Amino acid sequence: MTTPRAGCAIDAEGRITFALPAGHGHGLLLRLRPKKGQPEETLHVLDLDSVGEGRAQAVLGAEPVLAEGRWDVYLLDGDERTRLRPGPRDLRALVDGHLRERRGPLAVRVPYVTKDGYLAVRTWLRPAHAEADRVDITGGTLKVAARLHGASPLDGAEVRLRLRRGEGTLRTVEPLVAEDGRSFSFTVDDATLDIGIWDLFVRPAAGAPMIRLARLLDDVADRKHVHVYPGATAGELVVRPYYTVDNDLSLEVTRAG
Amino acid sequence: MKISFLLHNAYAIGGTITTTFNLAQALAERHEVEIVSVLRHRELPNFVLDPRVSLRPLVDLRQERDHPLHQRPARVFPRSEYRYGQYSELTDHRIAEALATIEADAVIGTRPGLNVHLAGQAPPHVARVGQEHLTLDNHSPRLRTALRRAYRGLDVLTTVTEADAAAYRRRMRLPGVRVEALPNSVPDPVLPAADGSAKVVVAAGRLVPVKRYDLLVEAFAAVAAEHPDWQLRIYGKGEEQDRLRRLITDLGLWNNVFLMGAAAPMEAEWVKGSIGAATSDFEPFGMTIVEAMRCGLPVVSTDCPHGPAEIIADRVDGRLVPVGDRDALAAALLELVGDDELRRRMSRAAQENARRFAPGPVVEQAERLITEAVSARRAGRRVVRQRQGGTLTARGSAARDTALIAASGALRLVRKGRP
Repeated sequence: MTTPRAGCAIDAEGRITFALPAGHGHGLLLRLRPKKGQPEETLHVLDLDSVGEGRAQAVLGAEPVLAEGRWDVYLLDGDERTRLRPGPRDLRALVDGHLRERRGPLAVRVPYVTKDGYLAVRTWLRPAHAEADRVDITGGTLKVAARLHGASPLDGAEVRLRLRRGEGTLRTVEPLVAEDGRSFSFTVDDATLDIGIWDLFVRPAAGAPMIRLARLLDDVADRKHVHVYPGATAGELVVRPYYTVDNDLSLEVTRAG
Repeated sequence: MKISFLLHNAYAIGGTITTTFNLAQALAERHEVEIVSVLRHRELPNFVLDPRVSLRPLVDLRQERDHPLHQRPARVFPRSEYRYGQYSELTDHRIAEALATIEADAVIGTRPGLNVHLAGQAPPHVARVGQEHLTLDNHSPRLRTALRRAYRGLDVLTTVTEADAAAYRRRMRLPGVRVEALPNSVPDPVLPAADGSAKVVVAAGRLVPVKRYDLLVEAFAAVAAEHPDWQLRIYGKGEEQDRLRRLITDLGLWNNVFLMGAAAPMEAEWVKGSIGAATSDFEPFGMTIVEAMRCGLPVVSTDCPHGPAEIIADRVDGRLVPVGDRDALAAALLELVGDDELRRRMSRAAQENARRFAPGPVVEQAERLITEAVSARRAGRRVVRQRQGGTLTARGSAARDTALIAASGALRLVRKGRP
């Protein structure tokens, strides 16, 4: 027989209720997808309880904090485990998630459907977080707005661009910080950036750890091809912001023309 | 009864597939139902099919794409049909064979070319119900001429709007055939309806020129300018994707307008929004409008032929604006975006009014039509006994189509003759 589909609903606190037809096993297993060639290590089991009307539910509470990654969802029945296909995913509580203040560590969960059609949960776990917001491009100038969550207010903050595989090549930009010390913006119009990928961080204060800029606080698990920006042309260079496969914000610098 | 649907490709995404699945599943409550899918290109359908409905593919493209007969053009499936390129001698054979051996009391065809197979090849005891999910006015004169002959072999012909049913009665002489509008049905939503608070406008459909998403993006520029915290999400994929992306970039709307990719089913996406948008130049029915309304979204739609005006009551449960009018579209969106109370009121009206497209009433009508056709077949008579009116108009239409075909043929000759 075919595997039942599991619907799910998530609330603003990240609590996920999985629902499926009753009589299909005793629990759900969430498994952190291991890196290629690695054994699976991190598992999480949820009880599946009948809730009447032929439905069964399993609840993943706001605790535990899940490690960052992709969690596959399996149905447990005796010793058997079967990967679940998705039913409706009610993620509406996540859509305006960027408007709520978060504490650190920041744990985010977004149920999604894998490319091959199975139910999975995308998770992020960051000690602190800088949520990317508007990106404005006027001529050669790129302006990025963001908001800090889970860290002390910005005080003497620096935005840092770090060249990937660049052996520590850094550029520093001073952000414009709002009165609350949380919202900030910065501009990039540097015609001397090296060609390559630059990852974006904010360092809230002198000596504080760097915080990655990313966009995690809505319902979009994979935004690389959804939030797409054009490039800003600065001199000979085109600087194009983009979201990585992990929804982190980076700059792709290429030669114009 | 045993009922079989004949469908182009049950494994793809589209309004006809959704509505066929919906109707098949609802009929399966009381009948034995199967869907015969002419083509198959993947393991599972995009939409979950009720296990009571069986699914039977005829040509599996994963193995048979290179079949010698599939390289030869179709002869039964009409050349003038939109999907002619996907049909072949192989589909001709398989469909004919499936119909000759079918164990159903009634077969329901779901597109013009398949209705032609059905009308000409179903065994005499099998009732033949042809469904038109497109519209007569939009068919080419050549296709209309092919159907004018073939559709006489049907027992029932259903269209999705009253307007289209009227066109068939006026322009086609189909003696003995019951012609009736049977709207698409949309199942009861499983998720709670949208509450009107989300600052999201949602549209869904294939990204093709007729859907006019370019107009929607342009109109949304006015919304984003006044309400920068609102976003437009367009779900679907298609040939217009790159052009729409460029338009979003040119208008500087990348913070507000998003091409979300395909989503099926759409229900969980509709409920994230509070306004639906449909901007087609032409829409045979408007399935997504009904889906959005059933999820509690008032829909701003162009008043294009034929569907939207038969679904939306302007200013009651949504808005109808002139076709291709960007400013009217923007104004209607702005009015709803700027007025929370209006949006909530229309949301409630949309849910209430869209209930007439619930499977219940639609399935009852379908059941009645099928039963009527089956009993007529059993009694060896036509479904409609009296002569239908409009014969003179129909003759005129037939003559006009023949003239149009001759003219286009002559034009081709003239063009050919040029150096």
